[in-house]
Parts: sequence; C-alpha cells; structure tokens
Amino acid sequence: MIKGRVWKFGDNIDTDQLYPGRYLPITDKQEMAKHALEGVPGAAQFIKKVQPGDILVVGKNFGCGSSREHAAIAIIGKGISLIVAESFARIFYRNCINTGLPVLEFKEAKEINQGDEIEVNVETGEIKNLTTGKVYKASPISDLELEIMKAGGLLNYLKKTTGNW
Amino acid sequence: MGKTIVEKILARASHKDEVYPEERVWADLDLVVMRDFGGPNVILEYKDAFGEKPVFDGNKVAFTFDLHVPARDEKVAKNQAECREFAKLMGAKLFDVNTGIGQHILFEHGLVKPWDVIIGTDSHMNLLGALGAFATGVGTTDITAGLAYGRLWFKVPKTHKYVISGKLKERVGAKDVILSVLKKVKTDGALYKAIEFTGNAIDEMNLAERITLTSMVTEMSGKIGFIEPNPSILEFIKIRVASEFISDVEPINADNDAEYERVINFDVSDLEPQIACPHSPDNVKDVKEVAGTPMNQVFIGSCTNGRFEDLKVVAEILKGKHIKEGLRLIIVPATMEVARAALEAGFYDIFLGAGAVVTNPGCALCTTGHPGILAPGEIMISTSNRNFVGKLGRGAQVYLASPATAAASAITGVITDPRDI
Repeated sequence: MIKGRVWKFGDNIDTDQLYPGRYLPITDKQEMAKHALEGVPGAAQFIKKVQPGDILVVGKNFGCGSSREHAAIAIIGKGISLIVAESFARIFYRNCINTGLPVLEFKEAKEINQGDEIEVNVETGEIKNLTTGKVYKASPISDLELEIMKAGGLLNYLKKTTGNW
Repeated sequence: MGKTIVEKILARASHKDEVYPEERVWADLDLVVMRDFGGPNVILEYKDAFGEKPVFDGNKVAFTFDLHVPARDEKVAKNQAECREFAKLMGAKLFDVNTGIGQHILFEHGLVKPWDVIIGTDSHMNLLGALGAFATGVGTTDITAGLAYGRLWFKVPKTHKYVISGKLKERVGAKDVILSVLKKVKTDGALYKAIEFTGNAIDEMNLAERITLTSMVTEMSGKIGFIEPNPSILEFIKIRVASEFISDVEPINADNDAEYERVINFDVSDLEPQIACPHSPDNVKDVKEVAGTPMNQVFIGSCTNGRFEDLKVVAEILKGKHIKEGLRLIIVPATMEVARAALEAGFYDIFLGAGAVVTNPGCALCTTGHPGILAPGEIMISTSNRNFVGKLGRGAQVYLASPATAAASAITGVITDPRDI
C-alpha cells in the first residue's frame, strides 16, 4: 500500500521536460535527481517543495520522447513513491518497472486534484482519495511487471529467477 | 485467426508456436546496442550487477557514437573512453566518432537482418523496421539485462495497419506522408502498438523513404513500424550482410487474415507539402498555410532525413543558388558513407557554395548539446522528427518538414513551398 500527497501534471509530458537533454552525459544518480522535471512548465513549486513519498498523478502519454532512463532515475531520486497516469509512453513505462518505481494506469486520473492525499494498492489497482473520500479501481498491473517491480527492478528479478523464464 | 508480423517475430524469438497481443514473452536478442549517451550508464549498471562477467555474445553487442561526436567536453570524452574500454574487454563492436548515426551504421555494416530482434538506447531504433527488423528503443536497465542474458521481456503489441495509396505529386515525399499520418493519428494514437505500412505508395519507396516513415512511428508513441522488404531492399541487405541469411531464416510475412486493431487508409495523391508547427509533431498543417513565416536557421539531416536521397533533393534545389542573407543552414549527412557519396556526387560544392555549414555525420540537431542550437526567440525549420518545447534551446521554436521544403525555405528565408522555388 502506497500513501502520499499528489503533484498533478498534464498530457504528453516528454522526457526532455522530465530530464532536459543537456544533462544526458551525467552518470551519477544523485546528480541526475537534481534535474528531475526541470523542463516541465509549471513545475517550479514541485522542484522546490517535493517530499519523499509524494505521488505524481499525470495525464496521457507520460514520458513520451527519448529512451533516457535518466528521467525515471531522477524521479526516483526525488523520492517519488508512485506515478499514476492516464497512460504512459512505452519506453518510460518499461524504465519505471525495470528500476522498481511503482506505476499504475488509471483512465480517470483527472479526477484526482493537486495536493490530495491518496492511498493506492498497486496489486489490486484500488485507489482511495483520502481527501475527497472517493474510491476508484484502476487497471491492475500485469503479473510479470508486478513481480519485477516487487523485486526492486529487472536486474534483481533476473538474478532471482534465472533459468525459470 | 492469422498473425501479424510482430506476433510472428516475437513467437519465433521466444520459442513459442504463437503469441497473442498483451501477452508478456521473453525473446532472444539478435543485437544489443548502446550509444555514447546511455552506454556509460549501462557500463556502470552492468559492472555493479555482474562485475567482469562476459556479455552473452560480443558479436551481438555494438556501441555506436552519434550524439556528441567528436566529444564536446571532458565528461563526454570520459564517457566515450569508458565505452571503448568496455567494448574491448567484452569483444563488442564499436563504431567511433567517425561513423555516424547508430541505426544507419548498423545496417550499412550488415548487422541488421529482416525479422531480427534488436534493442538499443535510442527511441528511434524502430526505423530499422524499414528493413523488416523488430528493433525498439529501451532504457539502460533493459540493455544491461540484455547484455547479461541475451533475452528480454516484451509485451506483444496489438498491430495497426496503415494503407498508403496513390501517386505523390512532384516535390511531395515520404516526410510529407508521415507528417500527414501524424496529423490524423496524433502523438499518442499508436501507443504500445506495432504499425504495418502497406499500399502501392509504399511499394515504390526506396530504403531512405521507408526509413523516414518508420522512424516517425516513435512520434506516434508506437513500439515498432514495419515495412515488408521488397526484392530491392532484400538485395541491399544481402550485399551488406554478406551471408546467406535468407537460406537459414524463413521469411516472415503477415497472414492475409491477420487481426489488426485498426486499419487506416491514406490516399496521398492530392497530398500537399506538410509541416509540423511548434511544439508538437502532430501540429501539422499544409506548408502553404504557414508560408512566409521567417526563419533564423534550417537544419537538414537526422535519422529521419539524413540519407543520400534526402541530400540529393536538397542539392537539386540549392544548385546555383545562395541561402538568404542572415539565415544559417546546417547540413549533416547521416553517416560517413552518405557523406562520401554526397562528396563524390558534387553535393558538397553545391552546399558550401550556397553558404551552408556541413558538419561531420551524427545525430546533430536532435537535442541540445550539439553545435547549432538556438537562442531564445529563434525559429528553425528542421528535417528531424521532434519539435518539443525547449528541445533545441529554451524559448526557441522548431518546425518539422521535408528536405525539399527545408531547402526551399533556406533560399527565401521564410517557410516556402518547394514548388514555388
């Protein structure tokens, strides 16, 4: 169960906004975290005030654009506990699963507001909005992706399961 | 029910009789590719997880340097040095700063065969679908896992079929076709999907034109775009691969009764030159709707439009002409092979005579960090594939168009229909 405060962003936020191209040569993960969401219009408050455990709730096609895993790593570095999106761009989605960052697709993500506190069960897809009292059901994540996420990412998963797949 | 190309490729690669859309499979990898960006992150992750363990097969691992080439600063130089050292240690192939854009280098060097499964740290890997390969962009953890185990998990995508028919008008090309597709499908219209391009307009297209189409499947959020290789594409691949690949692999084609989630027909007979306006690749208009918009810079190149055939159109339009005073024109061939062919064909004379800057092969103005990025408020027309906010300089605006439209606009200094030159 994941509980946290919501930061809200819109549709089609691309990886150049999540992690601008000028920082691609960076290989240090802590250093990457400093640039999370730096190019997202309206993210100034987020960059100043985000706290470990906070949750991102976003619109359609989140993380579209380049393959840079830096974007997911930088968001993890900020302590984000979960991303709930109307839909994810495919490479970014894989990068989150593979690095153990919980993600959930929820078609009615727009129903959740900036600053709401929500409680989410990633395994069942149940979302409770503790601020409004409303309860929703998102599409649960597939078994494989859940196992990878629970293992803490793809490499941990493979080390545990090699030979069984 | 019949199967689509992607379903058959993933079934073969995962040793199954058949696979179904949405199913998760573990597929064998034919090629794992890293760039000067992404590569250093993979090496750190690989060493951390597996130490000195050899990669699954050095012959199936390649580094391609195409982003910051030659190294633009000390950090990039260090990153590239680490890639060279790791490639040597692991017996992997490495294409250094003197080669060009990764995917193009891979097929020029015969590392790409139809129906291969290929991953790389480049969101435009899927342009290799122009040669019939399943190639897709992934992040560094996927690459690290691929290096160690030679396999990777995939979600089998649903397939969309785009049927492109008709005969294109003069100076209207593959870029105009794919921009018109984006206008209809939108940037999230093919999310997680495989696209098969068919139709009589495709049959006649050469490899460069096919690459222009498949590369921009990424901008529709698609996983992969396929074009079934015709005999001339297969002949090109045979020469490059230098082996009888056709004899050891059974060809894969879509079944006649394959199940498509969506089929869209495009008649391109009346298509006008197209242009994607700031700040989205699907904000597409006819060139004539925005004709006259002033430009500061024109970029011709990229994995979408940097091949010899693209430069040939540009040379035809620029021949004997000069670019507008005050405008900058930057031309970047996709690969060294393309550059040499352009040199032999006399294009460099035309380009330099017209006042262009011609730089060494690479990705060039696809991201900040390459020479030629824009100042706030500046406007550029580019033959690349993305025009996201801030991607080529904060406060700048980018229009995406064909090489013909870009070249014509370089002469006039304003957005110009290539038929008006």
